[in-house]
Amino acid sequence: MVELVQRLRKAGAGAGLSNEAFHKLSALLTMLILVFVFAFGNDAFFSVNNGLTILLQTSVIGLLGIGLTMVIITGGIDLSVGSVLALSGTVTGLAVKAGVPVVPGMFLGILVGAACGVVNGLIITKMRITPFVATLGMMLMARGLALQLTGAAPISQLGKAFGVLGNGSLFRMVEMQENGFPKVIFPGIPYPAILLIVVAIAAAYLLRRRALGRHIYATGSNEEAARLSGVVVDRTKIMAYAMSGALAGLAGIVLMSRLITAQPNEGVMAELDAIAAAVIGGASLMGGVGTISGTMIGAFIIGILRNGLNMAGVSSFIQQIIIGAVVILAVYVDQLRSKR
Amino acid sequence: MTSSPTHPTPLVEMTDIEKHFGGVRAVNGVSLDLNPGEVVGVLGHNGAGKSCLMRILSGAMIPNGGMIKVNGRPVTISSPHDARKLGIETIYQTLALADHLDAPANLFLGRELKTRFGNLDEKRMLDEARKVLRRLNPNFHNLGDAVSSLSGGQRQVIAIARAIYFDVKILIMDEPTAALGPSETAMVADLIKRLSAEGIGIFLVSHDMHDVFALCDRVMVMNKGVNVGSHRIDEVTKDDVLSLIIKGALPDDWTPRNLEVAL
Repeated sequence: MVELVQRLRKAGAGAGLSNEAFHKLSALLTMLILVFVFAFGNDAFFSVNNGLTILLQTSVIGLLGIGLTMVIITGGIDLSVGSVLALSGTVTGLAVKAGVPVVPGMFLGILVGAACGVVNGLIITKMRITPFVATLGMMLMARGLALQLTGAAPISQLGKAFGVLGNGSLFRMVEMQENGFPKVIFPGIPYPAILLIVVAIAAAYLLRRRALGRHIYATGSNEEAARLSGVVVDRTKIMAYAMSGALAGLAGIVLMSRLITAQPNEGVMAELDAIAAAVIGGASLMGGVGTISGTMIGAFIIGILRNGLNMAGVSSFIQQIIIGAVVILAVYVDQLRSKR
Repeated sequence: MTSSPTHPTPLVEMTDIEKHFGGVRAVNGVSLDLNPGEVVGVLGHNGAGKSCLMRILSGAMIPNGGMIKVNGRPVTISSPHDARKLGIETIYQTLALADHLDAPANLFLGRELKTRFGNLDEKRMLDEARKVLRRLNPNFHNLGDAVSSLSGGQRQVIAIARAIYFDVKILIMDEPTAALGPSETAMVADLIKRLSAEGIGIFLVSHDMHDVFALCDRVMVMNKGVNVGSHRIDEVTKDDVLSLIIKGALPDDWTPRNLEVAL
């Protein structure tokens, strides 16, 4: 195994591949192998319908993963995203229930998420608390607040409009049959998947083409050097946590909209899936390394694994064991390839 | 050693600078100035306070007291960004490079060139970086590589390029040749001479007596947070300077070297 990876790496370097490209390629290959294996085992897996289902299921992890990627590149971590997701979703649910129109209500939810992120950032930069502890605290506080606000009960009967974002789709084609029943020709691309693609492109643009993105990488690579170079490190970090929080808010709204119910208990341990997606995608918890495209591949590897294992009838307990092993394996392979 | 007729206003005047950490007085009422085109050696043991003093000027550390004037105007330097706006650039001993970024990204870090739409102008940064790096080292080719994969000399060149590319007026060099081979050291020496000829004032923090005597116009020695001597380089010997560094005082029988000659 060790030799194989190193030999492959050498071949990759010979073909002019950077370490990063090599990792992405190997992750992509892993994903294709998974698709192949699952498709071989079950005809229903390799269908348009199931592909769209995977897109839909992956969108929440994907949104969280994008935010976490930015935080992880700064050398930090955000454990609060699962709880912030729940808080944002329930705040939106409560607002809509109280008569606020759906769209402003959803913006309010995203704002609450961003605010949680800003608080994380301030605690980390101004109070000098390590990101692990600061966001662990926020994880408990946001979850507690979501439960307190709702009395731990789900908020339902939010109206049809509330469910559009999570359940609607673009280019859906339905034909009425002679017997009066509709026939779905193409189920359409789910809105959450479109949202994920738009957010991923925007985040990749921010990281690659804007000064803020450059500063995010520099901060994670060498914080002291970034500071001495005139980068306002504190502001850069606060921005990263704010974006992570806002995306957690967005993910919360998407999820609650899909359920057409605001659930204060949603998103428990979602942060771990998102971290796993970023790490499988090549982000380094030491900071300075990571890409949005990598994280997207990581999120889809987890999504495909979950979906394929479900269809194969593997229990969710076994799924956890497998995904845990995949995370460790991905990081191990990553370490091997960066050794010279 | 205040202003002389040829230099009406010093570039930098630091007066009674104080910095303490708890009860420790790292810098204790130190005054120091720098004229245009002058190279001043800042010497002392590790922990004598010389790095501290330089970090205060470069905005990496905020003093507890004292005054800094640049071009005769009192200034407040509370961040590296402030210092850079005043034309104060620093080459740190650690080089202060972001290892995962490439040479152009490091060169322009914190001062990125942008297009009209506010995007990073990668092409212009690459072109400019190629120009300035090749001028310092004609063999610099790996501009797209992460700087962690570059040699010590190449990394040093990036740190130097970053300090001189922008409109530098006051340059602080902290042990600029400690990690370099002989040819690269000669390149740095040439550079110091060229920059000072252009009127740039340079503080050279160094342990290397040979460099100090070859390049500096003046030396300032710190001992236990205090300025124990500011001398023109032609009035002291290496032994005198070593005595200042070690004992904090000149030898008992000291007379200025050039006066000796004159008498």
